Amino acid sequence: MNGWILRGLRGGILTTRYPQEVPSMPSLYRGRVLALEASPEAQNQGASACLTGAIAPGPAIAAIDERRCFQCGECVRRAPEAFAMRNDIEVAQPAKLLPTGCRFGRSIHVRHVDAGSDASCEQELAAIFNPYYDANRLGVFLTASPRRADILLVTGVVAEPMKEPLQRVYAAMPLPKRVVAVGTAACSGGLFAHSACVAGPVDTVLPVDVYLPGAPPPPLAILYAILLAAGRLQPSEVGR
Amino acid sequence: MTERTNDMTAVDAAHGTAQALAQGARFIALFVETGSTGAQSVTYVLDEARKLSRRTGTLTAAALPSLKVPAAGWAEREARDRFGLRFDRDVGARLIPPLDAEALLASASPEVSSVLYGPIRSGIVESAQWVVQTVGEDFVHVAPSMFYKRRGVEERFVGCTLDDGAFVAEFCSGATALSHACAYARAVETATGSEVPLRARAARSMLVEFERIHQHLDALAKLAEDGSLLVGSMQLFAAKERVHRLLAESTGSRFGRGVVKPGGLRADAFASLAEVCVRLLDEVEAQTRSVVEALFASQSLLDRLIGTGRLTPKNVVAFGGVGPVARGSGVRCDARAIDGALFTSLTGDEVLEEGTDAAARALVRRTEIRDSFRLIRNALDAAPSGAWCADVPDVDGCGIARVESPQGELVYAVRVLGGRLPCVRLRSASYANWPLFQTTLPGNIFTDFSFIDHSFGLLQAEVDR
Repeated sequence: MNGWILRGLRGGILTTRYPQEVPSMPSLYRGRVLALEASPEAQNQGASACLTGAIAPGPAIAAIDERRCFQCGECVRRAPEAFAMRNDIEVAQPAKLLPTGCRFGRSIHVRHVDAGSDASCEQELAAIFNPYYDANRLGVFLTASPRRADILLVTGVVAEPMKEPLQRVYAAMPLPKRVVAVGTAACSGGLFAHSACVAGPVDTVLPVDVYLPGAPPPPLAILYAILLAAGRLQPSEVGR
Repeated sequence: MTERTNDMTAVDAAHGTAQALAQGARFIALFVETGSTGAQSVTYVLDEARKLSRRTGTLTAAALPSLKVPAAGWAEREARDRFGLRFDRDVGARLIPPLDAEALLASASPEVSSVLYGPIRSGIVESAQWVVQTVGEDFVHVAPSMFYKRRGVEERFVGCTLDDGAFVAEFCSGATALSHACAYARAVETATGSEVPLRARAARSMLVEFERIHQHLDALAKLAEDGSLLVGSMQLFAAKERVHRLLAESTGSRFGRGVVKPGGLRADAFASLAEVCVRLLDEVEAQTRSVVEALFASQSLLDRLIGTGRLTPKNVVAFGGVGPVARGSGVRCDARAIDGALFTSLTGDEVLEEGTDAAARALVRRTEIRDSFRLIRNALDAAPSGAWCADVPDVDGCGIARVESPQGELVYAVRVLGGRLPCVRLRSASYANWPLFQTTLPGNIFTDFSFIDHSFGLLQAEVDR
């Protein structure tokens, strides 16, 4: 045991200072697609590549439904003049302007429910507690009981048999409470939006407060979404 | 799925399969192919003398003879529940969708304490349920009740282009997206007779080995956490994080998604991997190996794992177990040592442990992490130049391929028709291994559950799919 502690000390401090400092992601990292002013032909070329119909071509610039986008990058590959990939990390969007202040001003207890994920969201969620991110330093704790939970993190599209268990967890949480849809599948159903096996995206089952697209969203993006849901951070402009 | 050139019926195929099984073949999968009028044909996939073999037959009105082997248990139940296949005997309780709580508990006797554990459990875990029956501390019986999160992945492939199919495969199991994309791509390449450039094969091999490293580290970190070795667990999770960062720098995704496609790669991942590895690989490898070795020097944890969750080699063979789970009980099954090598094969030095317990399965992972770094360096050193993607010929056909995913042998079967996918089926390693899990529990106590669970290290998404 002493050996472990010495090892840890020798390793130094790994932990990010987020949100005081926002670390930059690698330049190749696919965080968010940005639409550029381009011809309708180029926009259509990108839109036709999209498996989830996230792109709606417009007169000068396409509209991108970020909740549907899983950052595969096909639109950028097919039509680089109309779409660009950015390495953004703060990609979560509040459903509406959430009240800020001290409702969740101190510690935040989060509960996780997998409604039909692809297993990667869970691993990224677990990673917010690793030494690089250490969510505990922000007062974010994982709780095993919905009775003690402030924020419910739901991963995955809601598979039909998970609908009722998910509703029961939400009902068991005390007020005030928030729901974060973690991952593109949770936000919009992603590839499985029209599957006969699913009840739908999370917001067809529960009121969602924060949408966090990503396949899967990385740990920093999850931290941002939690702080946003708790009213600790304000929604950032694109490219903060 | 295979070309139906002969007039074999499904019943003939089942009889042929039963004969091969009697001669020592390993059951892998029962794939049902559907057409506009429902289920049309079945394909039995076996491992015969370490080669994939298959028997396809057209479905007729006759009931299929059940294979009556444990390895085919789930496959037959799924074929009945999803596709309405009829067998000549009752193949067991409903698998999909899961039975409700009352039906699950009805079979429990009043002397034992029965608990429904799941589908939502504490912590950050995938949804699955067990009926756990205990007398005092001891397990009497544990039965899985899964498929709570079935999203219809196989159905989602239908009509996709060959390139888009790789994205669907990645969503089957995002944590092992690379293995799924590679297995899918290889099946398509087999079906169409594509030649994959060496540079793409080298990159795929490196990517899948990085995936093996992060998944093995995940399993070991969770074992350390179970054993209250929290500092060690955190350091293992930190080692996992470094692998994800390396993948993000070289592929744009922390899980290496969106890189692999039939015919090769979507971008020259070999170049970016080589560039990133020059900077980071030595450090990542040294830190990973040092923390893994420290874990295996932690006697308190090892003592907890030794003798926990024993899995007899006999059961591994009977249930067709694969991956580190099987190798921890001394059963050879590494697809990399046979036809599943993506670039360089393991050439016979498959990692085997004889301990049969949770410690043995952890030891397999330790050695495999070391071997994975070696395979990555082999591919890096070979540095094949040239193209990283080839055109997939526009021909129709069927193909089956397997890849050694971190959890074990992963098999994809595809049919290609006019450049699209009318049918894709898959058998994941987790699907093969879950039925083994409950055989390890009798004789253990309730608090062993998570140790055994994490020593198996399976993913629910690729089971429920």
